[in-house]
Amino acid sequence: MSGLTLLQRQIEKSRLADGEIDYAALKVLIAAAYDEKELDRRRADRASRLVAEELQEALASMEVQNMRFKAALDNMSQGLCLFDGAGRLVVGNRRFGEIMELPANPCCVGASIGMILGRSGALARADEMNRRLLRAEFESLDRVRGGVLEQVWPDGRIISITRRPVADGGFLDTLADITETRRAAAQIAHLARHDALTDLPNRVLLRERMVQAIRDCDRDHTAAVLCLDLDRFKLVNDTLGHPVGDALLIEVAQRLRKLVRDGDLVARLGGDEFAIIQRLMPNAAQPETLAKRITAGIGEPYFIDGQLVQIGVSIGIERIHDGKADPDEVLRNADLALYQAKAGGGGFRTFEPSMHALANGRRQLELDLRAALDAEQFEVHYQPQVDLVSGAIVGFEALVRWRHPERGLVPPADFIALSEEVGLIDRLGVQVLRAACRDALQWPEQVKVAVNLSAVQFRSGRLVNLVEDALRETGLDASRLELEITEGVMLTDNASVFNQLRQLKRLGVHISLDDFGTGYSSLSYIRNFPFDKIKIDQSFVRELGASADSLAIIRAVAGMCGSLGIATTAEGVETDAQLQILTAEKCDSVQGYLFGKAVPADETVALFRRGPFARAA
Amino acid sequence: MWVQTLHLSGAHGWEARDSAPLRTPELVFVFGPTDLMRASPAPRDLATMFPDAIQIGCSTGTSVDGVVLSDDIISAVAIGFGQTRVRLVTHALGEAGHSRDAGRAVGRELAASDLSAVFVLCEGLGVNGSALVEGLSETCGDDVTISGGLAGDGQRFADTLVTVGGKSAPGIVAAIGFYGSAIRISHGSAGGWDEFGPVRKITKSDGNVLAELDGKPALDLYERYLGDEAAALPASALFYPLKVWDPSRPEDEVVRTVLSIDRETRTMTFAGDIPAGWSARLMRGSFDRLAEGAAEAARHARRGLESVDPGLCLFVSCVGRRLLMGQRAEEEVEAVARELGSAIPIAGFYSYGEIAPHNMSGVSGLHNQTVTLTLLAEVA
Repeated sequence: MSGLTLLQRQIEKSRLADGEIDYAALKVLIAAAYDEKELDRRRADRASRLVAEELQEALASMEVQNMRFKAALDNMSQGLCLFDGAGRLVVGNRRFGEIMELPANPCCVGASIGMILGRSGALARADEMNRRLLRAEFESLDRVRGGVLEQVWPDGRIISITRRPVADGGFLDTLADITETRRAAAQIAHLARHDALTDLPNRVLLRERMVQAIRDCDRDHTAAVLCLDLDRFKLVNDTLGHPVGDALLIEVAQRLRKLVRDGDLVARLGGDEFAIIQRLMPNAAQPETLAKRITAGIGEPYFIDGQLVQIGVSIGIERIHDGKADPDEVLRNADLALYQAKAGGGGFRTFEPSMHALANGRRQLELDLRAALDAEQFEVHYQPQVDLVSGAIVGFEALVRWRHPERGLVPPADFIALSEEVGLIDRLGVQVLRAACRDALQWPEQVKVAVNLSAVQFRSGRLVNLVEDALRETGLDASRLELEITEGVMLTDNASVFNQLRQLKRLGVHISLDDFGTGYSSLSYIRNFPFDKIKIDQSFVRELGASADSLAIIRAVAGMCGSLGIATTAEGVETDAQLQILTAEKCDSVQGYLFGKAVPADETVALFRRGPFARAA
Repeated sequence: MWVQTLHLSGAHGWEARDSAPLRTPELVFVFGPTDLMRASPAPRDLATMFPDAIQIGCSTGTSVDGVVLSDDIISAVAIGFGQTRVRLVTHALGEAGHSRDAGRAVGRELAASDLSAVFVLCEGLGVNGSALVEGLSETCGDDVTISGGLAGDGQRFADTLVTVGGKSAPGIVAAIGFYGSAIRISHGSAGGWDEFGPVRKITKSDGNVLAELDGKPALDLYERYLGDEAAALPASALFYPLKVWDPSRPEDEVVRTVLSIDRETRTMTFAGDIPAGWSARLMRGSFDRLAEGAAEAARHARRGLESVDPGLCLFVSCVGRRLLMGQRAEEEVEAVARELGSAIPIAGFYSYGEIAPHNMSGVSGLHNQTVTLTLLAEVA
């Protein structure tokens, strides 16, 4: 209709004043209208084409976007599934399919959560009842507080499921396999309560169980705590190495586990210390019985790495009598009993209240020892060593004495071991060494001073420097200093000890092997290190005349030393008879009451004035 | 109220189209091509003929005289009122940034308790039409309806003039106030454009200068869609008006039309603001749908007058519609005439911006790419 109108208009516009139509003008108008129409058509075509292009571009970019989303979703470590307001799956990522073990990936778009759970291969392995339970829990997750659920699935996996509502009335579930996390957490919890080497309970778990054992205590059910410390374990560690030491501890742990009853607890407290909580019932085995069993069991030889190892065990026992006991005190008492057992040379001891007094006394002694070192209360006394050929004094053995202001003179046996134990031996050793070097300066030049070294003094690695310092400070010639060590020194960390001994020898100091014959008397020591002197233990001298063995040993040692060029000194010579034998056996020198006790330094000078001792006839 | 449509007869100058004797009007509207409005004596002759009448008009690419469109003649319409008073206010526009102030000044001068409506004509290029109307509304009162349009210049976009008392000049705004209780004025406004293509994001803009859509120069998009016709920018941009809206208030959409482009900065200046962050979508027109738009505007305006018959239809349509529809642009006017009845005189012009109350809200504002109609009537 409008087309007709247009033509009519065009005709009207082309009508001349006389009413005739100007056909040329009409043609122009009609042509222009066609052009306009054509132009409009072209515009419409172009616009349609461009819109299509733009849509194509937009779709392509959406496709890329979708691909990125999918890649992101599929690479999540969590399973994810989104449901719409009607409860139908909109999207589920690859991990979701994997966790669920769904037959097809991507999975089940359009399915309800119930249908998906029904298709889950992971849940299918559960028995009927468990499967129903797991599905019911999962499906009603909206009603769970916080929307978080943890399920243990039939294959043992622990799955955490979280549900969050989304704006369109649907919900988003995320599934995470937290099996490893939970396992690690359990592992960490285990590690916090167990010893890593032996997997025995550690001190933390021991204490928890002690609290429990104390709580459970009644007339018929009591308990005991046994504290164990291996004997000679350190020696094994030092001589055979830590790997052997560790293997030994593992085997000890295994033996202990077998030695106790079910319900008893074996714990490792650290190092070579163990503890046992033993539940006691009337008419059942008592802790002392168990201690005996343990002593025997642990004392059996071990074969580790082809090596035969033998150790012992010391045990302290404390009984838990009632539900009011303090676990820390129980353990402390068992430990005190153990200390007493150790001090008594092994075995087991049951706690007695008097042990507290002993422990207190020891603690006091330690305090006094520190004070004495500060106040330099230690004195050094000297016992002469006499040459058997000339009868002249050729040296003195320095012996430390502690003059306590209240206790009087304290014997070395009471404080040397303690000072080693509490780490004071180095300070004590330096004080003695300095005094000895200083005092030796007042003696004739050929007279030596002999100072004893403890094994502990070799541990710090500073011994050589300390000796050097003492010589330099006092000005004593190194050749006049003789350092005495026992075989025990060489039992620990052999290489380091020999190394230090060689350095000392290079200083010019003489080294003698003390108490020879009482320990291992291993000839390899003599071969491995050029000792200047061997001191024959007084026990052999004392038995001269009474035991033929002693004479044979003295003869053998003296003979061996003679041919190796090592000097010998016999200790503890008290009688002329002993002296005669030792002279006959060609010992080089002697030492003992026969020639004088150890005396303070200021009394030594007088000994030189009295002339040589009479030689044995 | 009476209306005489005037036309220039070569021999006799201005005559009534119905050849009746000329009456003495109180108000004369005159619309014609820019060059003629500036240089021809016709507008001055009108002023001389009717020295007591208010004469107001503007330049245009196409004037409307009844159902006939003309690109090369000046047309006029003379109006006499019974009881209604009319008043003219003119004001220099200043720069575009001062459009609101100019609107306020005009509104202040027109304001009176019996002011019923305002018809405003304004320079069409150096103006922010939205701001002008807002300024007017602020000062002349909320219940005063404002309609009119921005002067046009066809597809040249070079000069626009407003004519007052026979003299035409750029850079001015002129407004007629209608006073009294006898005047009845109604309006209708409609587009008829169709949205098409993707919804785009306005990613960079400054005021009414659009730089980027979806991160790419907006001018690139227009050039792509226009193809060969890009050479005719900015006029050809009118083929694709831009609908813009705040995504948070999608119901308040507006259509923007291009005033100028800058090929160096790749920017486009629109007749109204193009805020960054808003959404935008291209529009395009089909002949029939645009003509139907005009019919819808007429129906709406007619309803506004209720039982009173209109004495005159002032027709202001967008130059974009004229460019797109070509000869068939007359179908717009025909559609209006069909709706109103062929006896109703129609006068008007194709503009660079239409001013009318919004069909729904009744708030006056600047429209783009629409047909806006102002129906005048007077009751006894």
